Amino acid sequence: MAKLKYKLLPEGTLGKIHIPIDIVYINFRDVKQAGLTPHEAFEAVAKTSGDPMGINIFDPDAAGTTSDGVMVEGAVRFMAAADRGKFNKEFGFLEAMEMPYSDQLVKDEPHLFQWQKSFANRKLFRGPDVTKKIIPVHNACVTGRACNQNCSTEMANMVTMEEIMLPILGQQEIINNGNVMIGHTGQIISVGVGINVPELSGRLFPTRQFRIGDTAHSCGERSKHLKEDIPCLVCEKKTLAKNIIRCILTGGIPGRNMAPAPAVLTVAKYLNSDIDYSNITDAAYVELASVGFDKQWMDKKFEKLSPEEIMERADELIPGMTDAQKYRVCDIVKELEAEV
Amino acid sequence: MPLSNTKVGILMRMMHTTLPEFLEKIKAAAAESNSPKAITIRGLENLTSAKMQSLRTGRIEIAVDDMTKKDGVKKVDLVVMPRIPETMHTVVVRGLDDKGNVKSAILEIINIMHPTEDALLKDCGDVEDRRPPIGKH
Repeated sequence: MAKLKYKLLPEGTLGKIHIPIDIVYINFRDVKQAGLTPHEAFEAVAKTSGDPMGINIFDPDAAGTTSDGVMVEGAVRFMAAADRGKFNKEFGFLEAMEMPYSDQLVKDEPHLFQWQKSFANRKLFRGPDVTKKIIPVHNACVTGRACNQNCSTEMANMVTMEEIMLPILGQQEIINNGNVMIGHTGQIISVGVGINVPELSGRLFPTRQFRIGDTAHSCGERSKHLKEDIPCLVCEKKTLAKNIIRCILTGGIPGRNMAPAPAVLTVAKYLNSDIDYSNITDAAYVELASVGFDKQWMDKKFEKLSPEEIMERADELIPGMTDAQKYRVCDIVKELEAEV
Repeated sequence: MPLSNTKVGILMRMMHTTLPEFLEKIKAAAAESNSPKAITIRGLENLTSAKMQSLRTGRIEIAVDDMTKKDGVKKVDLVVMPRIPETMHTVVVRGLDDKGNVKSAILEIINIMHPTEDALLKDCGDVEDRRPPIGKH
């Protein structure tokens, strides 16, 4: 009988943080090597447990985007939510659509300028095809108690109503056996995740509803409290810095072709690179100012640092979660095999 | 020829069942079965005024009647929950004067995520899905 490798971050407590649901990642290479369809891979893993579970098939050879519009290596291609070993046949699965390259796409979604410069040989995947998905707005898989939402970046137990945020670079670390940080989302990231880029069939939104420089939250000082107390798993700050720096050094300008989220603005400041403050809407400015990124901060001169120095000092320079603890993935994630 | 208001009213009455009538019919289906059972009805607590789809009301009465007769069933629990686990709602924020008149209003929207029916079915192996596909009656 064949085996399928998968990684499990089980429901339970890590430090001050409760992981509310079993979180599973399967490497798409392993799915293909086992000769399985994505559905068969999901079913093989789901039948190993009766607990609510969010399951993702991560393709390390594809490309994706962060909510800031930074392109990254790897994307979740297939998502599922399982409970009691089963999937809801209508709402238990989602598949990200491939977004083919075109000059018009880059015009409509300016952050994709990076594609041909840094990811030319990779296919791009974000969210499901907006014309095909039957769930109205959110990109969510739901089966019973399990919810895997916003294309795998939020998972929840729908009965206890506990949730965890899983930004894409943290997922990449789980696949790559790197290091992650787990804590509470905090006010800075709560503001940051609302300041996005426009994407059709996107990971977060089905349409290009919010332009670069705007905020999806649009609720002033309340934005910093929206996600503040929710558990969050992210990559190390030096990994975040590395990805933002690559974007900026290939032409990224926060406010123009990258979202002006706090971490992006901070890295741009230390690189002494351009920031298009003029394109930040009043609504986004109020939210940024509420967590310290006000006009005074924007006008302040920062010492110029090299990319290496920024990555080296990322923990000190880049604001992020609260209560964060660093973990080696190998210490908290179980490597398991399912029979297929 | 356009229908009169009276005829439209009669047609609506035929097409839909009032909420109180729906509740009465469901309770009656459980009580008047050949094997009568107690029934709890959940999920409609927030509704005060609603027209329930008549076509399905009769089928739900049959489902309740069928359930009362199943071996080992001691009581019946009926839950109405969203068919699609994301529902979209308008939020009406009204400002009222001291006579209850609407002086000002703000409309907002909120999308709500729900568990699917699987959360209620647990490990039950005897599930008969009588629902039509999404979009059908």
